[in-house]
Amino acid sequence: MSGRGEVRFADITRMHGEFAALKGVSFEIQPGEFFALRGPSGSGKSTTLRILAGLDAPTAGRVFIDGKDVTSTDARDRDIAMVFQSYALYPHMTVAQNIAFPLEMANLPKAEIMAGVREAARKVKIDHLLDRKPGQLSGGQQQRCALARAIVRKARLFLLDEPLSNLDAKLRLETRAEIKKLQRSLGVTAVYVTHDQEEAMTLADRMAVFMAGEIQQVGTPAEVFARPNSIDIAGFIGNPPMNLVPARYIDGDVVIAGHRLKTIMQAAGERDVVVGIRPGALRIAPDGLKAKVELIEDLGDSAVLDLDCAGTLLRVRVSDGNVPQEGDAISITARARDIHLFDPVTRKRL
Amino acid sequence: MIAKRIRIIALLAISLVFLLAWAFPILWSVLNSLKTDPDVLAYPPKLVFAPTLEAYRDVLFGSASILPNLVSSLVISVGTTVVTMLMAVPAAYALARLNFRGRKSAGFYVLATQMLPPVGIIIPYFLVLRNIGWIDTYQGIILIYLSFSLPFAIWLLVSYFEDIPFEMEEAAYLDGASRLRTLWRIIIPQVRGGIAVTVVFVFLNAWNEFLFAVVLSGNTVRPVTVAMFNFVSVEQTLWAKLAAVSVLAMLPVVVLGVVAQKHIVKGLTVGAVKGGGRR
Repeated sequence: MSGRGEVRFADITRMHGEFAALKGVSFEIQPGEFFALRGPSGSGKSTTLRILAGLDAPTAGRVFIDGKDVTSTDARDRDIAMVFQSYALYPHMTVAQNIAFPLEMANLPKAEIMAGVREAARKVKIDHLLDRKPGQLSGGQQQRCALARAIVRKARLFLLDEPLSNLDAKLRLETRAEIKKLQRSLGVTAVYVTHDQEEAMTLADRMAVFMAGEIQQVGTPAEVFARPNSIDIAGFIGNPPMNLVPARYIDGDVVIAGHRLKTIMQAAGERDVVVGIRPGALRIAPDGLKAKVELIEDLGDSAVLDLDCAGTLLRVRVSDGNVPQEGDAISITARARDIHLFDPVTRKRL
Repeated sequence: MIAKRIRIIALLAISLVFLLAWAFPILWSVLNSLKTDPDVLAYPPKLVFAPTLEAYRDVLFGSASILPNLVSSLVISVGTTVVTMLMAVPAAYALARLNFRGRKSAGFYVLATQMLPPVGIIIPYFLVLRNIGWIDTYQGIILIYLSFSLPFAIWLLVSYFEDIPFEMEEAAYLDGASRLRTLWRIIIPQVRGGIAVTVVFVFLNAWNEFLFAVVLSGNTVRPVTVAMFNFVSVEQTLWAKLAAVSVLAMLPVVVLGVVAQKHIVKGLTVGAVKGGGRR
């Protein structure tokens, strides 16, 4: 298994007429890695997955799998398994026939197919449903059937296109954990498209964040969360996302609404910046930025406050212990290392 | 309450009128096929009579048996249906799925041929067939029938193919299936309802066709719709035999309708793809 499932995208461009869905995307995925593709709708993450699968061809650039150029290789010859958002089960076949289909296409002997189907079905716990048709399964069971069909062939790459988005919240959590376990036990490389914050954070070893057809950052979820390298990523990652406030930088401090906050920057001088502070990094303190509580969203174990800070909206996440009242005047502050600075023109991290 | 009842009765009455109007010719044929010729012509019409199968015996095994004509009709209809389906299924799939130059206009021309008045093209067809010596041959009639059954079948099938989500096919490719195998194993089983419907329509159109058949057939190949007119002549009309042939000609149609009904099950793909559909 080792050494299998290494992926390299080299300067991939994909045009849809005049519109560039991907503008020169390059990245690498290590064997055995769980790699997430994240980004808003239309940012190019699904296009990337489809190009990797061989369902779409890039307009320019090359795709390598295990060091081999597969840019012009047919989807069926790439040895890739995929779970579609819609599951794409074959409705006229039973669960067993669905799972058996990839093995049949590989011309395996009957006995081997039977054994393979049983094993795959057992792994995703649907071995009691083998004789049903997809239409007779619940959403979660259909999802498992799609998973089984993908793992049965032991392909070198395992692609998942928002596989959990059609499940209800509870099932999503369960399946999420199971997908991770499954991927670990199979030791297979997985590429996962999602727009869900938690899914990406919990599942992925590394992720690539797409913005308008470009990869803006690649890293572990923790890295991307801790050090977003552009305003767009800062505003995209996190729930609720980072507060982004235009401010003035003066000799290591930033001035927001007349209040100075320390940063970890040392440089002397003065310039315009955009300050990013995570809602969870803001704290209520006796001395700080003056703000009025506009709205409280109670999340049970914590609450998100919408603050009016001299005309600027700031969001603060507080634990349930000290939730103020709506209309209260409070003051807030943040530690220097929790303050991110971005260039308002280039939109890059400073 | 009473108003509702009156409405129901009115609706029933109207439905009954339509049903009778539709059923009358069939009833007439069935009844008269069981009569003797004097009974047919009796006035006022006899509702109670001694039924006889004499007319059937005559038209089937008599001197002017229509058995060869039934066979002709069968060969023409089956031939037309088979050739139509062999060509229409791949064509419809291509129109529904593949991107090629002239796909849109091809779709339009397929439909445009359906708009021509058949009488307007009968003479050219006749001349063409005569020149290649295909008048009064199976291949000649089937060829001409194809010219309208094929566009119709393609047009009908395209909508069925379009209803199958793209992802289903893509999943099959990734599972290692070729395009042809995907078509055969994944797509066609899902449009079998549509194929059954199309087969029925194409078969019936060919079976019931009269206008082209009367011009393009002859003594060798004469479908039953044309042969029926043997029983109508200047001197007399053999009503009982005509009715018997009509009933015999209707039988395969009825049988086919009953058989195909089972296959025309809608919503085969429901539930397999959540939120799936056209893209």
